[in-house]
Amino acid sequence: MEITRREFLKMSAAGAALMAIGCPVAAWAAKGEGEPDRWVKGVCRYCGTGCGVMVGVKGGKVVTVKGDPKNHNAGFLCLKGALMTSVIYAKERITQPLIRKNGKLTPASWDEALNLVASKFKEAIAQHGPKSVAYYGSGQALTEETYLASKIFKAGLKCNNVDGNPRLCMASAVGGYVTTFGKDEPMGSYDDIDNASCFFIIGSNTSECHPILFRRIAARKEANPATKIIVVDPRVTNTTRIADIHISFIPGTDLALLNSMAYVIIKEEMDNPRFHGAYCAFMDKEGKPQTFEDYKKFLEDYAPEKAEKITGIPAKTIKEVAKIFAQSSATMSMWCMGINQRIQGVWANNLIHNLHLLTGQIGRPGATTFSLTGQPNACGGVRDAGGLSHMLPAGRLIANKEHRNQMEKLWGLPEDSLNPEPGLPTIALFEALKEGKIKAMLILCTNPAQSLPDVNRYREAMARKDKFICLIEVFQDAETVQFADVVLAPAFWCERDGVYGCSERRYALIEKAIEPPGQCRPSVNILVDLAKRMGVDPKLVPYNNAADIWDEWRAVAKPTVYNFWGITRERLRKESGLKWPCPSEDHPGTNIRYVRGEDPLVPPDHPTKYFFYGRPDGKAVIWFRPYVGCAEGPDSEYSFVLTTGRVLDQWHTSTMTGKVPEIQRSYPKAFVEINDKDAKKLGIQTGDHVQLETRRDKMVFEARVGEVCRPGLVFVPWFDPKLLINKLTINAVDPISKQPEFKICAVKVSKAAKA
Amino acid sequence: MIQFDWFSRLRNRWGKWVIIAPAAVVVLAVIFIVCFNLAFPRTRCEAVKHLEAPEIAGDCYGCHVKATPKAAQDWYESKHGVQLVKCFVCHGQPDGKGEVVFALNPDVGICRKCHDSSVTNMVNNYGLEPNCVSCHPFHQNSIHHRAYVKPVAKKTID
Repeated sequence: MEITRREFLKMSAAGAALMAIGCPVAAWAAKGEGEPDRWVKGVCRYCGTGCGVMVGVKGGKVVTVKGDPKNHNAGFLCLKGALMTSVIYAKERITQPLIRKNGKLTPASWDEALNLVASKFKEAIAQHGPKSVAYYGSGQALTEETYLASKIFKAGLKCNNVDGNPRLCMASAVGGYVTTFGKDEPMGSYDDIDNASCFFIIGSNTSECHPILFRRIAARKEANPATKIIVVDPRVTNTTRIADIHISFIPGTDLALLNSMAYVIIKEEMDNPRFHGAYCAFMDKEGKPQTFEDYKKFLEDYAPEKAEKITGIPAKTIKEVAKIFAQSSATMSMWCMGINQRIQGVWANNLIHNLHLLTGQIGRPGATTFSLTGQPNACGGVRDAGGLSHMLPAGRLIANKEHRNQMEKLWGLPEDSLNPEPGLPTIALFEALKEGKIKAMLILCTNPAQSLPDVNRYREAMARKDKFICLIEVFQDAETVQFADVVLAPAFWCERDGVYGCSERRYALIEKAIEPPGQCRPSVNILVDLAKRMGVDPKLVPYNNAADIWDEWRAVAKPTVYNFWGITRERLRKESGLKWPCPSEDHPGTNIRYVRGEDPLVPPDHPTKYFFYGRPDGKAVIWFRPYVGCAEGPDSEYSFVLTTGRVLDQWHTSTMTGKVPEIQRSYPKAFVEINDKDAKKLGIQTGDHVQLETRRDKMVFEARVGEVCRPGLVFVPWFDPKLLINKLTINAVDPISKQPEFKICAVKVSKAAKA
Repeated sequence: MIQFDWFSRLRNRWGKWVIIAPAAVVVLAVIFIVCFNLAFPRTRCEAVKHLEAPEIAGDCYGCHVKATPKAAQDWYESKHGVQLVKCFVCHGQPDGKGEVVFALNPDVGICRKCHDSSVTNMVNNYGLEPNCVSCHPFHQNSIHHRAYVKPVAKKTID
């Protein structure tokens, strides 16, 4: 379609000019807004790319934003980031605490609201024990907020029910990194993009979800046109516009593709035996040590001809892609929710790492295996600071006695006083709420009433009369507000200071630019106040501001591989973000981990160049991960696959982007994307109403017919609060990471009458 | 009858072509419009003026691919098009709501959101006015048009 359109236009250039003359073109004069008084450094509030922004303030008000030229984005911002200003001054801002009285949220004083929350939590713990309360956090909260909340609950209340929405977005990536390399977080950085000569992008619509990274990939291709870009996605997204090869496949079969690529790499002797011989261990799915020969035997099932039958990808293409991947001078893999939001998310992550370890495409500039993150502080805040139910700060585990003891010492607690039993991960947590086992829950900076899978089920849980939900939320029209018993009013984005950590291990400071409106308070102040009222030992929360918490967190991470002691508040104010490990104040930050001379944690006299110190034997693991399908594949009754995702304009549950008039105009509502051929069979045209029905619920969407989705697949974006697609999605989770499979469920598609 | 004189002079000079040529232009234009509408069956562009159809006013490209096809196609092939820096990010929207002023020529403050260093360089190093459009007319040159298909630059070997 694109090609025909382009060629057609070229041929009719004269006609086009004629048309243009016929159209009224008025020259509107652009009004200058006047220069801001000052620029305050920050980080974009939206995605995990973590672009640096400069906030332009005039007379105590934000008037504009621009990109921070010193940060990794080199001054560029995407559509959303460039239109941040309207969000801050939205009329839907909550500016004072609210308490639900007779079913209605009514304004209350801070004292009244906080005392009510504290009494409900104390009552629940006194009657039902610490397991009956919970904290549900967010990859959008500041690092200081997550660290503090996690400490209050785990150390103060002895409750490990501390989880957050990163469980829905990157838990599988964590699982992948931890099982393969021993420690979480990617070894590379965005700088690798400028050095890669092959990009293997799988399960990511980088163009719409991480636009500034897409810009950088395109710039790399522009600088070096020989750069190969491979996009593996069942949809022909905008990302494919710069791709050399786009591979579509039957949704859920990518594990077979990845194993098949490994088969081809070994079969055609494109592997790097000196690398995997020295730095890799082989393990079967039970974790038993195996050999390279066993691995070859395991891969026999994935010869390209066999994989073709599973995936629908021609064997020739699999061979070609494997060849480009293995033989490029530096290959960078990037993936996102297409890989993570799956019941075999961890395995799929492992299989991508396998390809890099087999070929030695790792630990050189441009050669790396890089997970993209959805939220601005899922990495820095939740993953690193330990805001998940099985974790303690800096990669420590609750189940590990030694780790608990370290934290008890650092937090000044008596030995063996931390609760040794891991808490409930997100889906289990909301199941417990449904069963009435969770009596009181604190939700910070996230919108589970829209973002959970099979959301009817959990909206029911949140609507229980006998539960108590305290929500710290910026906007009164967020879905979850309907279910809150108390809503507390936090300061938003640049109204307080704090640190965000993006996909590339970069910590950057959002500085305070303006005063919060009304009675809004920074969430750290709310949490400290609440903790004291809940009877938590004041010695555990001796903080005056976020900077105090940052210093404690630096000290807590110092003895671990997360060491970022050198990233002081002072440096963060001066510099536009720093990448850990960064053990001392004169350290410039680390681009490539696990490599001698690059990573400060590899001793300078280490006998070999690479050292995967995260694992006891210093070797990364090549896992035998067989192909397993999805939880709910299509069948004769529900014959289509439903997948969900983002669009460029809107972000997450659109509580923020929904406040930007330009964006609301350009992308007001969700739609269903359907393939031409399927649409023809069903008699559906663009603009028609289409009913989607899964085993959970049904809903009507407007159709957008085209060639984006492959036949048999339909796509619906999940931002629209009026069309909650998550009512239709499935709550099946990955057995290792506990991340739900948002990306695949079976759906019945039929034409509906126009309303 | 000056007009008549003018016409008859043309007629004397060009004969029947005076009528055939404009007629051909009109016919070609009609054919073009018909073909164009056939080429974009899914594109909706019922509105003649901007505010006549507020529900689709946000989909600038959807209409402009018909109304101003050259501008729309140049954008589509440009870096801004590939990266989906959509029309309204720089030009605002017809209803004038939001922070971006609806303008054919965006204020340099809009360019500065992403290209601040470049603007500052031009001002400091070349003493130029901070006015990008005067040298970089949007949708018409290599900066906005077919950006990723640049001809390979000639290299000289000293």
